[in-house]
Amino acid sequence: MTKEKINKTALILFLFIAFTIPLFVRSATYLHILILLYFYAYLTTSWNLVGGFAGVLPLGHSVFVGIGAYTSTILSLQYGISPWIGMIAGAFIALILGVIIALPTLKMRGAYFALATIAFGEGIRVMVENINNIGPLNINGPRGIQIPPTNTGFFNFMFAGKEPYYYIILIMLILVLTLTFLISRSKLGYYLNAGGEEPEAAMALGINVAKARLTAMAISSFLTALAGTFYAQFTLYIHPKSVFSLDLSFEIAFIALIGGRGSVAGPIIGALLLRPVSDLSRIYFGSHLPGLHLIIFGAVLILVMLYQPRGLQEPLSRIYNRIIEKKILKTDK
Amino acid sequence: MIEKKSIKFLFAAVLAFMLAFGISAPLKAEDTTVKIGNIIPLSGPSASLGEQGKYAREMAVKEINDAGGIKSLGGAKLEMAYADSESKPEKGVSEAERLINTEKVNILTGCWNSAVTYPVTAVAEKYGTPFVVPVSVSDKITEQGFKTVFRIAAKDSWWTRDQFAFLKDMEKEFNGPVKKLAFVYENGDWGQGFAQQWKKLAEKGGYEVVLDEPYPSSATDLSPVVQKIKRSGAEVLMLVSNAADAILLTNTLADYKVKLKAIIASGGGHADPSFIKATGNNALKYFDIVEWETDINKPGAKEANEKYNKLYKQNLTGEAVDAYLAVYVIKDALERAGSLEPAKIKEALAATSLKDGPGMIVGYPSVEFDETGQNKNAALVMIQINDIGNGPERISVWPKEARRKGYTPVFPMK
Amino acid sequence: MIYLIEDIINGILMGSIYGLTALGLTVIFGVLKVINFAHGSLLMVGMYVAYWIITATGIHPYIALFIAAPIMFFFGYYLQDIIIKPIFKAEKNVREPITVIIVTTGLWYILDNLTLLIFGPQYRSIQDNALKGAMLEIGEIFISVPKLCGAITAVITALAIYLFFQKTKTGRAVRATSIDRETASLMGINQYKIYNIAFGIGTAAAGIAAVTLVPFYNIFPTVGVLFDIKGFIIVVLGGLGSILGAMLGGIIIGLIESVGPQFMSSTWTEAIVYGLFLLVLFIKPSGLFGIKQDW
Repeated sequence: MTKEKINKTALILFLFIAFTIPLFVRSATYLHILILLYFYAYLTTSWNLVGGFAGVLPLGHSVFVGIGAYTSTILSLQYGISPWIGMIAGAFIALILGVIIALPTLKMRGAYFALATIAFGEGIRVMVENINNIGPLNINGPRGIQIPPTNTGFFNFMFAGKEPYYYIILIMLILVLTLTFLISRSKLGYYLNAGGEEPEAAMALGINVAKARLTAMAISSFLTALAGTFYAQFTLYIHPKSVFSLDLSFEIAFIALIGGRGSVAGPIIGALLLRPVSDLSRIYFGSHLPGLHLIIFGAVLILVMLYQPRGLQEPLSRIYNRIIEKKILKTDK
Repeated sequence: MIEKKSIKFLFAAVLAFMLAFGISAPLKAEDTTVKIGNIIPLSGPSASLGEQGKYAREMAVKEINDAGGIKSLGGAKLEMAYADSESKPEKGVSEAERLINTEKVNILTGCWNSAVTYPVTAVAEKYGTPFVVPVSVSDKITEQGFKTVFRIAAKDSWWTRDQFAFLKDMEKEFNGPVKKLAFVYENGDWGQGFAQQWKKLAEKGGYEVVLDEPYPSSATDLSPVVQKIKRSGAEVLMLVSNAADAILLTNTLADYKVKLKAIIASGGGHADPSFIKATGNNALKYFDIVEWETDINKPGAKEANEKYNKLYKQNLTGEAVDAYLAVYVIKDALERAGSLEPAKIKEALAATSLKDGPGMIVGYPSVEFDETGQNKNAALVMIQINDIGNGPERISVWPKEARRKGYTPVFPMK
Repeated sequence: MIYLIEDIINGILMGSIYGLTALGLTVIFGVLKVINFAHGSLLMVGMYVAYWIITATGIHPYIALFIAAPIMFFFGYYLQDIIIKPIFKAEKNVREPITVIIVTTGLWYILDNLTLLIFGPQYRSIQDNALKGAMLEIGEIFISVPKLCGAITAVITALAIYLFFQKTKTGRAVRATSIDRETASLMGINQYKIYNIAFGIGTAAAGIAAVTLVPFYNIFPTVGVLFDIKGFIIVVLGGLGSILGAMLGGIIIGLIESVGPQFMSSTWTEAIVYGLFLLVLFIKPSGLFGIKQDW
């Protein structure tokens, strides 16, 4: 048995488990937690194209979630257009906005880029909170939009149970992971990586770092907006302080950094650790020790950064490889 | 070295993952308990209000359980499950899902923030779980055609209606006509909802709106807004504020010596227990509309407040009383339902006509829900903050039958 | 016209205090080259410290300053020494370690919520202090005395920090490290000790800002968040790492917030601040005045 074969088997096993979970996890609560886990893993994977491969730290990605959520919701509530179509429309709007943001900011480095993206995110949130109507479109300012939970069905992207949502976000996650995997192996991925580590050196080699980053930002904002529509249809209520919030942008970045930015598996590992920590500590401590769950969350962030500043992906993959080499390959010989 | 650390982390990650699934078995509830899920903001910007709601619920539950629980259910005890919304709708929705599906609560209450309550109503409706809303004033909460939602508090169109009725009465009583109004409110679901109603009522009442100013509740300096109020020439200022901004606004208004005939607030931040402490004499003569006040003339109210004050070192507020009453409304419905079947509980809640009992320390004679689930008797009381010898306190002034004996409201203020 | 003068004065005074809240941020960035996301929380801690000193002893807020600032200095010093330093050591080769940003964010969550856990969510303010509600009335113009004192303190603090970096031996060592940490450590300067000192000074500056706010502001666990983003904008407007820039950036924000609402709804001034911020980033990323590190 070769290592490649083992990897493939492990992958298939993993997918098999993921697809069959709803068959034995009947509790809607845990499906709900899992759906949000996949949702965050999806967002982080999309973020990773810029934040991981391109080596900058965007802290305003919730803008694209918000654009996606608002576009599809307004189109479906006011014009009866299926959220599936709105999803694509929102993604294209986000793409354009992403390019507009990227053009001036991607030249910046380090702290400036991070702060610029925060300002973009917050600025757009403030504007949404101050605007009730854009022409005929009713965005309802700070009050947000509720989606009436009446018309379930595939066309309406609305379901009574959790299972359809589970499979939709799972498939979205698998697709986005495949895409990042392909990108990381492509010329674009190579350019991004080179430009992320040593932009000057990369440019000297004739790599157009700026163009590569711009492409990454465009893809990233497009993909992020798709998840925005999913979020709107899943929670059926959106308002500026949730889908355009700084908290959301931060959480996406945290998951990536904890998991290991710039790696394909990083976002999954990060989400697997941080999401349960934040949900479960809130559930168990939120009621009698208010705030303790956020203290735990903060402590986990610090501890991981202290002991594994490159994220958890590195040590985990090392362990994985060693187990395979020692336990399986040896016995195979 | 690094390897050891990595293994520790792998272990932690696996543990976290297992936790996520392992604990999915619901805690085994004894058959003699009724489980009530409560979603309230225990951390984040509205934590102070969440805390009051929790205290009031705890007091009611202890009283009911000590008195023998729900008799028609064989003395079943009430058991509370609290969940923190952090004032975030998405957290509220997640918690509602969990409380209903995993904790298997029989009834849901909450969530104070209208922005959280609103999406949670949809979750409760989906699962058919009865949802008792003590306070969340947004009109739309009971206007979605849902059959599971029951609200104790008055809705915002009633609050604003009563604020204007009060103003008219004051003008008449003290023969001091008012023409110019200023509206200043936090730029959120709550403030915007009030402002929308105010504008309609002002037009109907023939007032002139000289200032219509939303402000972000995250503002660090409100003197520009105060300057605007001062320069607008307004006679009456109407406010919707959260706690931090209510305190800041009150102190700044006093600093700039803004002269107004009246300031009418809308509960919330102005009713927060720390408001009077943090503003001192600056809040004197303020009017504030609330659901309940400590000097209410109702048997049991004084005792309840004394007990609450002894336990939690603060006075009952309208928010707390509604939460307290909500538990008694639930108890009453459970007694009549005699079953934990959601449909039966809903039916019993819909048929509520609670007239007495420890929970009925509110100003109106009974709790009854209309077909939308709104408590149709919910009434409001206007109070004035004043110092009549015991330091600043909240004194009921309106409606006239609720006015504290021997107190004459100060109108116009000055 | 008279209104405009009043608004401009208020804007400059409040803006100077904003500048003071951002001063620590700029010092810490100048030396450590990281954005301290916990800065607002440090300000919050400072407000609680000032609150307890003043209510416990009943002294004048500005006397409390001389107790609160040293306490905050050591708080910052050891916070950096115990929690942040190990990360710097692990990431020696990275110029602007992103991991440190995450750690400061973790600190922010911990500090805010620890305060909530210990002191509860109540809002506090100091009722009987000498400055509360004091106003200067010059004709029709109202000037808030606590803000005026705060603005003066801000200028003095900025000057003091500047002089400390220029004139003292330790200050010069800090400066040397901020300019070139490798060379500085070759010259025998202990880089991490300098970091501790810089972080301590930054935290003490937050403590001083806290004392100037306490007489007219209220105190609650999440109060720092309100000043956090504002601080980031201020330091970028003025040029990251610049002391003069932080003060000027603060005053610009103060002016927009104070004068803006007279022409539009005050919720829109927030949007203008962000707009200006982005404009500066695009056109002049080194800050409005192009001030590089000036100490």
